[in-house]
Amino acid sequence: MLQEIGTLVLQGAMISAIYALIAIGFTMIFGVGGVLNLAHGALIMAGAYVFGILVTETTVDWLVIHPAVAFPITVVVVALLSWGLYQGLVRWIEENVVITFLATVVVAVASTELVILLFGQSPMTMTLISGAVNLEPYGINARPRYVQFVGFVVSWIAIGLLWYYVQETDDGRSILAASMSERGARLTGVDLHSVHSKTWLIAGALAGIAGVFLGTTGSATPLMWLNPLALAFIIVVIGGIGSIKGSVVAAYFIGYLEQFTVTFAGQGFRGILSLVVLVIFLLYLPQGLYGREYVHD
Amino acid sequence: MISTILLLGTILSTVPGRLEGVAGSVRRNVLLPIGRGLDRLLAPIDRAMVPAATAYNHRFGRYFGEMSGLQLAFVAASLGALLTAGAWAPLVLGGLLRTLALASIWAIFAMSWDIQSGYTGYISFGHSALSGAAGYTMAMLLAHVDPALPLWITAPLSVLAALVLGLLIALPTLRLEGPYFSLITFVAVLLFYRLTTAFGWLGGIPGFSEPDVFTWNPVVRYYYMLVPMLLIAAALTFLARSNLGMILVAIRENESAVSAAGIDPTKFKIWSFVLSSIPMGIGGVLLVGFTGNVDPNTFVVADNSIEMIAMAVVGGMSSILGPLGGAFFIEIFSHEVLHGFSTPVRYLFLWTLVLLVLVFARDGLFRRIWHRLGDVGGGEG
Repeated sequence: MLQEIGTLVLQGAMISAIYALIAIGFTMIFGVGGVLNLAHGALIMAGAYVFGILVTETTVDWLVIHPAVAFPITVVVVALLSWGLYQGLVRWIEENVVITFLATVVVAVASTELVILLFGQSPMTMTLISGAVNLEPYGINARPRYVQFVGFVVSWIAIGLLWYYVQETDDGRSILAASMSERGARLTGVDLHSVHSKTWLIAGALAGIAGVFLGTTGSATPLMWLNPLALAFIIVVIGGIGSIKGSVVAAYFIGYLEQFTVTFAGQGFRGILSLVVLVIFLLYLPQGLYGREYVHD
Repeated sequence: MISTILLLGTILSTVPGRLEGVAGSVRRNVLLPIGRGLDRLLAPIDRAMVPAATAYNHRFGRYFGEMSGLQLAFVAASLGALLTAGAWAPLVLGGLLRTLALASIWAIFAMSWDIQSGYTGYISFGHSALSGAAGYTMAMLLAHVDPALPLWITAPLSVLAALVLGLLIALPTLRLEGPYFSLITFVAVLLFYRLTTAFGWLGGIPGFSEPDVFTWNPVVRYYYMLVPMLLIAAALTFLARSNLGMILVAIRENESAVSAAGIDPTKFKIWSFVLSSIPMGIGGVLLVGFTGNVDPNTFVVADNSIEMIAMAVVGGMSSILGPLGGAFFIEIFSHEVLHGFSTPVRYLFLWTLVLLVLVFARDGLFRRIWHRLGDVGGGEG
């Protein structure tokens, strides 16, 4: 029992760290631009595949880069993809919520087909860092891999940097201002368009990091966008839309809940309990844990 | 071929001049003259059909909407083509009849989605769960209760199951607005999918093969799909043109104004769910009769819901005939026109098309064609 709890705590912390990254990017775009980016999962998938192309020799044979170099390149590429998605598509239609919504979901579905076309149906495996720690001497029946530890640490570094940027720099504070009231931000001289572009860049970078870790702890598959998207949404609703703190708290809540279900009920039930929790939240606490009332402008 | 060019010309001549400059001059120098030529060609047909249209408008215009001569000719020609397809389609292309039958089922789905989501603006991402409920009820009745149950027992029960699920989703979610509503319907589909794989008695990934197809004769099968589709189209058009449809649109435009006018929007939103669930159930039953296999990938996956939406968007949201046209357009486009390509390529084409329509022609292609046809007579009709 104690062993299982130990495993639970450890594995839960690692998976939750990745969930937090997924949710923060999603909530920033919604909180600031009012745009629900259903292509967020596709960006995460892009992270996994870009990293896979860079580090494995089988996909593109002349291109093999050391994982430590490939990682930042991947993050930049996905951030640019996200920015491109905003500049090329979303900014032209963002005033109509329904159209944006439909367009981003179409992008997500199309990305599946593109991946199948380029890489086929079979999963792509890749390594960031190999090896595992044996914790059995310490009474915990688990062998967490180094990559999970790295994921945990990188997640917190990214969250910390984002926190500092949004709270402490003028540039970041303009994002915060735009998320509170677009009109107020515009009146104080904030360029909304550049704020929106920045949020898409940041969200893309976070999605890229999350994609690398999802791809290296599991594998990259054409349908891997669906689960992170559902997770992002669940976490964001529970944490409260637009709240970074809420996303982190809810990510750990959902991460542990899933780990708990998998440990005690079986792999087939992963996610079902989270969906039930989501429904309860939507019905009884739709503004989430740290949500605030929307300021209409 | 010529009709395709005419059709394309009609569409292009109405594309708004978003790409200013080059597009503008192309439009002035090429497309507008084509459009004018088209007008001159079509005007005689319009005039010839005016008496028939007047008679129609006099009798049915109140219920199904008024039409100009050309519009009536368009509807009559399409209807005639669909009804006689059993005779001509096999001669044109081998698989065309199958495609048309499938398009009829998807037209039902797209219209059902539209009467709820297109009209009220409550975008549902979970409509495949409704057809899935009907399909699974039918399969489970046959697999777990009695394999000899006749269709007249299983079909109504399946439609009822779709209705019950529709109301189950409706009652709690109607308190939610906008994206929250959409995402919880999305979650409903994901939940349904997870359940089918988590519980063995729901068939898992292979699903059920107990239900038999209605018939192996492709011509008869086509009419099994077409006739219900046309009836549903007529019924939904009638309802959408009635006060009910007007209230649904008013809910989309301004919900608080609707309640300020003393009308309870919740009641009408529930009606839109009912109107949507019943045809979804019928469509689900037809899909069972078409494929003869009930499994999560045919009935439940979220892609299905998104495909329905794509059809409605391409045809034109918040009109009934738009999604119908969109469904036929997309099915024929992906199964016949892009026949030689692999599935991912076909879908990539399809999704690109949907994106283009979303950005450049939000009202949908068929609505544009429709209004273009109405304009030919210059308002005399």
